[in-house]
Amino acid sequence: MITTSILRFENVSLTAQPPYALDVTEISLELNAGELGLALTGASTEGLPLADLASGLVAPNAGQVRFQDQDWQACHPDTAANARGRIGRIFEKRGWISNLDMDENITLAQRHHTTRPVAEIEAEALALAKQFGFEDLPRARPAVLRAGELRRSAWIRALVGSPMLALLEHPLRDLPAQAAAPLVAAVQAAAARGAAVLWIAESFQGLETCRTVFSKVWTLEGARLVAAKE
Amino acid sequence: MSFLNNIGAGWVDKGRTWRHYLAMLWSVACIAAQPRYWPRTTRNVFARQVLFTGVEAWKFIALIACMVGLSIVVQFQVWLTKFGQTQLLGPILVMAVVRELGPLLVNFIIIGRSGTAMAIEMGNMQIAGEVRALDAQGLDPFTYLVLPRVAGAAVSIFCLTIIFIVVAFFSGYLCGVLTGAQTGNPLRFLESIFGALQQADVLNVLIKTLVCGAMTGVICCAEGLSVSTASTEVPQAATRAVVRSTAALFVMSALVSLVTYF
Repeated sequence: MITTSILRFENVSLTAQPPYALDVTEISLELNAGELGLALTGASTEGLPLADLASGLVAPNAGQVRFQDQDWQACHPDTAANARGRIGRIFEKRGWISNLDMDENITLAQRHHTTRPVAEIEAEALALAKQFGFEDLPRARPAVLRAGELRRSAWIRALVGSPMLALLEHPLRDLPAQAAAPLVAAVQAAAARGAAVLWIAESFQGLETCRTVFSKVWTLEGARLVAAKE
Repeated sequence: MSFLNNIGAGWVDKGRTWRHYLAMLWSVACIAAQPRYWPRTTRNVFARQVLFTGVEAWKFIALIACMVGLSIVVQFQVWLTKFGQTQLLGPILVMAVVRELGPLLVNFIIIGRSGTAMAIEMGNMQIAGEVRALDAQGLDPFTYLVLPRVAGAAVSIFCLTIIFIVVAFFSGYLCGVLTGAQTGNPLRFLESIFGALQQADVLNVLIKTLVCGAMTGVICCAEGLSVSTASTEVPQAATRAVVRSTAALFVMSALVSLVTYF
């Protein structure tokens, strides 16, 4: 069987500079199409640059990060921007454009990178919204939504448009532990379509019943990500 | 020696800053001509910028133009009539209102009204991590934030300048009629203005509105995006944006006048 590499870290090290707070050292990991990976960071690990490294937003001091077999650092900025359009992401914090309504925020990347009709993108987002417990697509400004609603809206944004890679930074933060089920189902469906998923969480809290979903698990020990299951 | 070094370093820094603005202006001009940099999201931001900078400002610009019409056009009419030089009315009005006052005042008002807003918005977006969030979703901040704002500012300033000139002439003529100045019939008034207009005047207005307007947009965006971590940097960035945009406006305006007419 041919495996398609979606994301590969090759001995990646980065010394933290603001806005990052934590160094990473010699990280090597690989996620292929259809794989779900879980990175357990432990408590108090805000400012970990893992997702930014994965999406090529920051250059590592050493090593290479490859997305769909392309080294981010060797990419033309336009190519890199287009490639990021194929990555869905839940941000650790913030991540919303305050002068856009939530529905515009959720569909922004798809409207920017594709020529799909807006009605089609919104219909897809609405289907995800219903899956995640919303009655309708959130349409208010981000400032008036509660933290839990923002987090679930981020789930929709990360998965709309069938991304090749989903980077989910603490997707259960601000939510009750039992909230994970619909998201786990959605990411499993995305993986079945051929996406790779990197779920970053502090611990297994909220994921106790679905540990087996993840084909790869890493734990952060110091500045290194150590494979717990591969 | 260190005193001289400090002076030199200051000038080198200033030179770098202006080179950065010019490089941004050039980049905007280059990518603005390529349709692939205008996806619907960017076109949407452009439309919002034109709405904010152009459409929402036109009444204020028209009011200022009325005042200019009352105070300048009517005075020229009165004094030229007194000296029996009414044939100079057209050339003098074109020189004063079309070449200089219109583009300068409109640009100046837009710097105060929209330029500061642009710099503050960019600064706050930077602080809130929104610029990074855009980048992470593959929306290049230069294409999505800077390009439509700069283009929107340039187009708006051009349109507002045309409105300014038309309203200033109309209100000046009307005021002249109402105050009993010998304004002649409207057709002669228009003829004297259009007769005095040269190709160089059209070029002058185009450059002073489009290029200076784009430069205003570039400086305000660049200063806003230069904010790094603290919200206290935002008002400082806005102040720098206004001061530098105004300086650039007057310098460019003077240079364009020199190049166009001498």
